[in-house]
Amino acid sequence: MEILLKINGLRVDFVADKRTVHAVSGVDLYVKKGEVLILAGESGSGKTITALSITKVLPRNAEIISGSICFNGVDLLKLDNRSLGLFRGKEIAYIFQEPTSYLNPVFTIGNQIVEAIILHQDKTKKEAFTEALELLRLVNIREPKSVFFDYPHQLSGGMNQRVLIAMALACKPKLLIADEPTTSLDVTIEAQILRLLMDLKEKIGFSLLFITHNLSIAKKIGSRIYIMHRGQIVEEGNVEEIFNNPKHFHARELVGAYEKIGRI
Amino acid sequence: MNKYLLLGISIIAFFTIIAVLAPVISPYDPSAIDQDNLLMPPSSQHLLGTDSLGRDILSRIIYGARISLSIGLIAVGIATAIGLILGATAGFYGGLTDTLIMRFLDIMLCFPTFFLILAVVAIMEPSIFNIMIVIGLTSWMGPARLIRSEILSLKEREFILAEIALGASNLRIITKHLIPNAMGPVLVNATLGVAGAILLESGLSFLGLGVQPPTASWGNILIEAKSTLGVAWWITIFPGLAILVTILGFNLIAEGLKEKIG
Repeated sequence: MEILLKINGLRVDFVADKRTVHAVSGVDLYVKKGEVLILAGESGSGKTITALSITKVLPRNAEIISGSICFNGVDLLKLDNRSLGLFRGKEIAYIFQEPTSYLNPVFTIGNQIVEAIILHQDKTKKEAFTEALELLRLVNIREPKSVFFDYPHQLSGGMNQRVLIAMALACKPKLLIADEPTTSLDVTIEAQILRLLMDLKEKIGFSLLFITHNLSIAKKIGSRIYIMHRGQIVEEGNVEEIFNNPKHFHARELVGAYEKIGRI
Repeated sequence: MNKYLLLGISIIAFFTIIAVLAPVISPYDPSAIDQDNLLMPPSSQHLLGTDSLGRDILSRIIYGARISLSIGLIAVGIATAIGLILGATAGFYGGLTDTLIMRFLDIMLCFPTFFLILAVVAIMEPSIFNIMIVIGLTSWMGPARLIRSEILSLKEREFILAEIALGASNLRIITKHLIPNAMGPVLVNATLGVAGAILLESGLSFLGLGVQPPTASWGNILIEAKSTLGVAWWITIFPGLAILVTILGFNLIAEGLKEKIG
């Protein structure tokens, strides 16, 4: 399969009051077209920062020290903000952990989806309106017309995550980065959202970079997996392989934790 | 809706309707001099009495509402607009831009506003238009600081990150996402500002550098009252009450809004 995204030697530092923290120290990874890639690791291992580096939407005090990020043959790290804007949302889209806080509280759901649609596409408000309703239907929201005029605080976390997925898919991106999208949701909703993501992947055909610390999800949906620990990739391979024969001690810990929970 | 807000809005709505309908409801021409009825106390012909030129106080207060309210609203509109632009720019971009804008703001704060306005009005002509602009240009610092601090905390919120990740431009993020979220406290501040601007205009008019006679504003009815205070209390009391109640109305709205959204 063709390679869509290739990260080479990525290093990201956080600078605060002359103290430097190496959040990501030398990450190499690649995502193939149409695959589900899992990036797993404990909290603080640098998986989110790696993902945010891809379109440079990092916090202000983070700095990319070195490395390259090739997306479809373009080195994203060499681009300025304006050119990166053409990739953000259009080619590469994100969904995040706490859906409700990633939606603007003063605008309706519909308003925000319409914005996501017209940001990169030359469409009239009316076309965007119809398309937004279609997107809501696509993410299995039963009454799109009433949800369209709701505010984020009127919906549940699971509903808001569907809305964020709808916004992320507004421009049919080639790569969807999901940063622990189900961590704040309960288990049944988690299963629904995962199934939805898999269905949409079949329909639309994007690659999925799925970040999680939950190996049971990795086992359910992933084809390949990278395990991060203290800013470095410590293990990579097929999901099956890692589960049967984890080499690095951290991978063994994660798999062990999964098996322990399985026994309860 | 809470009690404060309801009461405040009723008061301001009352004065606004009076101002809009001034030509219809005022019993006399506000500048018509009537030599037979000088300094008449309140009676059935002149409900709030007449001044030393025989002009009807009620009509003058009704027409004065137009001037005072429009000066208050437009001056605050100008101040808030400048404050929004400068405050949002400083807060969003930070760094050198922030330093430059905020130090300029500090310099502006060093001037005693009232005397600055006095000086400007003394040089330029004291017309209603000039007064609106001068008050607006000298009272944007409060709103600007407020908006800057709101933007500083809002720009770190997750939905702004989500918006950047969707590929929105800086201008779009500031105007469509940051400013609408900052509007709550700005609105509260603006209502208080209107009250302040009306007081400022009254003060200027009282000193003779505000709205020029024969045009009636609440402030310049009071100047004329000054010389007759001993014999004609009604010329002082009624325009004074109009100012007091209007300011109270705006303050109540601000208080109510603060409880509701702030």
